Amino acid sequence: MTTTRRHTRIGRIGLYVLLVWICLFFSIPLLVVISTSLKTSDEVRTFSIFSLPAVPSIAAWIKAWSSACTGLNCGGVRVGFWNSVRILIPSVIISVLAGSVTGYALSHWRIRGANVIMLLLLVCAFIPYQVILYPLVKTFSTIGIYSSLPCIIAVHVVFGLPVMSLLFRNYYAGLPEELVKAARIDGAGFWRIFLFVMLPMSVNILIVATILQTTGIWNDYLLGLIFAGRDNMPMTVQLNAIAITSTGIIEYNVNTAAALLTALPPLVIYFFSGRYFVRGITAGAVKG
Amino acid sequence: MSAVSVSGLFKSFGHLNVLKDIHLPIEAGEFTVLLGPSGCGKSTLLNAIAGLEDTDAGIVEIDGADVTHHEPSKRGIAMVFQSYALYPTMSVRKNMSFGLRVRSVPRQEVVRRVDWAAKLLQIDELLDRKPSQLSGGQRQRVAIGRALVQQAKVFLFDEPLSNLDAKLRTEMRVELKRLHKELGATIIYVTHDQIEAMTLATRIAVMRAGRIEQYAAPDELYEVPETLFVASFVGSPAMNFMRGRLTTGAVQVGSAEVPLNGYRFRSSPATGQEVVVGIRPEHLALARNEPGENGIDAEALFMEPMGADTLGWFQFGEHRLSARLVPQVARGLSGRVRLSLNADHLSLFDPSSEARL
Amino acid sequence: MSARLPIGMDATAPLDAGVNTAVTTPKLGRAYRARSLAAKIALIPAILVMLGCYYASVTWTVYISMTRSFLLPVYKFAGAAQYERLFATPRWQVAYSNMFVFGALDIIGTLGLGVLLAILLDRAVRFEGVFRTVMLYPLSISFIVTGLTWQWVLSPTIGVQQFVRDLGWSGFVFDWITQPDRAIYTLVFAGIWHQSGLIMAIMLAGLRGVDREIWRAARVEGIPTWRTYISIVLPMLRPLIVTCIVLIAIAVVKSYDLVVAMTNGGPGFSSDLPGKFVVDFEFERANIGQASAAATVMLGSVLAIISPYLYFELARKNR
Repeated sequence: MTTTRRHTRIGRIGLYVLLVWICLFFSIPLLVVISTSLKTSDEVRTFSIFSLPAVPSIAAWIKAWSSACTGLNCGGVRVGFWNSVRILIPSVIISVLAGSVTGYALSHWRIRGANVIMLLLLVCAFIPYQVILYPLVKTFSTIGIYSSLPCIIAVHVVFGLPVMSLLFRNYYAGLPEELVKAARIDGAGFWRIFLFVMLPMSVNILIVATILQTTGIWNDYLLGLIFAGRDNMPMTVQLNAIAITSTGIIEYNVNTAAALLTALPPLVIYFFSGRYFVRGITAGAVKG
Repeated sequence: MSAVSVSGLFKSFGHLNVLKDIHLPIEAGEFTVLLGPSGCGKSTLLNAIAGLEDTDAGIVEIDGADVTHHEPSKRGIAMVFQSYALYPTMSVRKNMSFGLRVRSVPRQEVVRRVDWAAKLLQIDELLDRKPSQLSGGQRQRVAIGRALVQQAKVFLFDEPLSNLDAKLRTEMRVELKRLHKELGATIIYVTHDQIEAMTLATRIAVMRAGRIEQYAAPDELYEVPETLFVASFVGSPAMNFMRGRLTTGAVQVGSAEVPLNGYRFRSSPATGQEVVVGIRPEHLALARNEPGENGIDAEALFMEPMGADTLGWFQFGEHRLSARLVPQVARGLSGRVRLSLNADHLSLFDPSSEARL
Repeated sequence: MSARLPIGMDATAPLDAGVNTAVTTPKLGRAYRARSLAAKIALIPAILVMLGCYYASVTWTVYISMTRSFLLPVYKFAGAAQYERLFATPRWQVAYSNMFVFGALDIIGTLGLGVLLAILLDRAVRFEGVFRTVMLYPLSISFIVTGLTWQWVLSPTIGVQQFVRDLGWSGFVFDWITQPDRAIYTLVFAGIWHQSGLIMAIMLAGLRGVDREIWRAARVEGIPTWRTYISIVLPMLRPLIVTCIVLIAIAVVKSYDLVVAMTNGGPGFSSDLPGKFVVDFEFERANIGQASAAATVMLGSVLAIISPYLYFELARKNR
């Protein structure tokens, strides 16, 4: 930019020092957890989590993955991992697609009341889960699929719909109208235009939406706890169960390893997707 | 009011040399315009004088004091920006007074200055409004008012009128001229509009590719341009250019041999030298076939009626020339015509160096 | 095929030149309506979900909160009886007041740190990518992991207190997380840690949108940088700041995972929050009357936060 900034040497250094200090605040909890997970069981008993392991060992990780105990089962978080994966993939695919179709329908088709629908969706996005949990439980019970994989997938789709719809709607509204008009003149219908005009142009927003939903669904706890059923408990639920099992000596190294394993997938996605992640959370946050 | 002096100024952005060896001695009370096409460096020069840009070499002096390494607020300048840069959340009054109050100017004095400036610019009715409630012209006045209350030594304007529509621009030009006269302030003004420059300035610095090609009063720029670029940039419609060759005491243009009696050469001309001849449209006319006339044969192309006169376009060899003609004469003019050149108003340029001969 | 529309269908569509429209208009009218129909049909699932899952459920919950339901829904109207009982319940009183305490501190802390970080990054030139990566990663982490992490960090036995004692200060005490009257504050640490990055990203984008000429004007007038931020730039971003406050507030109201992982509402229920109260009463205590009442209060809080916000946003856009 063409403006030189007023800067003094000390001022610049102070600025960066402050930034580094604050970054320590952000990174130390994670570093501490990583370091604890690499300790052996003896070390964990006596020292604070701020001390470094004498000899790093991944024994805790292996135990957390395959043999940690949640209550009576000792199968490790591996079980929860695969449950989370099985929940994640269909939920993300369906909710993203549903959101994109809805957003598309609301943006270029001049439907009367589209604005009202969008406002209603916006309000839905703010409604806390707790307010509609019980009716949903009752409904799914009545249908007969309560506490099962299809149930939790349906729940994730339902809860993701408002945000996804608004996300896609805002994106499509920003695309030039002429595209759709030209296609209509050529005789293409609603679905044709969606598949051959809109989707190809949506790569960026699809990535953003997928990341947003993946992070949200993978990190979910409450919905999984209530709707997934005992055999499908996601990793987060397993993790919490492991951590609060306080029979005897608490194996912090195993617990921290389990926590890291749970946090790893979204964290990896975050590190590799940077820009898209930020767009996702800011768009998901600043809805409408 | 103060003098500003820039000497030996150099500025680069990375590998791009934006300002090259700028010398600009501005006298107190002058209205200096920095004129040139986009990218010529005029805004950069203004920012350098303001202190918003660092320079790589050279000195900026205001009132004799070297301010080259001073912060803008310590140079005694005030600035008006192209987009007005008014503080959006503050009222007009607060916009004008904020800077003063931050600098701990006493309350009474602040009020006095704001009222004075508001009256001068006829914005006293708008003092309690926010910028979003003002029109473009009103915002412009507020921006000027904010600069005025600083009671600076030098006022800098960065293309302040380019965001206004044509009518408003003309009105504001008159305002600025009036202000200059009333305050006798030293003003440095950047624009790419040469009409603005010609009407407002006491002296214009025509810039191109980081250099000042000529720094002179509007009349002088118009009559005696120092370079081909200045000659082509200043004046509308633009000057005509033709190839010619020097002979003894005259210049050969096409079939005509135009005597150069009163022409002031910068250095002794060489006979046979190739030159570029510049002549303004008002100095070309239809030949009346009188003796002693310098005529050239050209083909009439088309006529552009402009109201008071008509601009006639002619093809002369490889050149397209324009001439100001009386509308009645120009109407229906076609075919081969003879044009006469006014020998007293020629400009001769060296084809390679583009400098005036 | 011409795109000329029958008059009255859509006055805002541009008229296209071309084919003889008189002949094709009726045919096209139907085609246009057919395509619009497809769009409407495509919207039906979303509308059904919205009305059925959300609005119907909300209505049911609110209704139940005004009945004498206990274990099972009982459709006998009881007015505000549930609410009276609710607000007389000590656990709810704690949870409800905690919401405000936690909310206020979380908003001030997250907003403050987020704005500070945005300003710092606005001024810093180098390493921005690195700093942003570090500040934003907590958002990718589940609240469970966040809660557990901070529980460990703030634990007196293995966390900060132990660490400082290991260094030599044997009398150092920092056991808020085990103190009933202090536990709620510990949630604030985790909340700020988790969300400041988001606020930073939003505010930084806002700061970058500020016209640089305003900065230059302030500089020429001699206004110091910090004053420019406080008096000129941040007031310009007031709508964005309000958005951030709304976001943080909503997250506070919804909080569940964080409380469960970090303190599980404890010690006792001193760090309980409405979000957890509702779920506990609905599923563990099986008292849906109270749970619905509590949930309705939560809903009311959310509406109280977003209604003025939405109203002003719409008003601003329509101006």
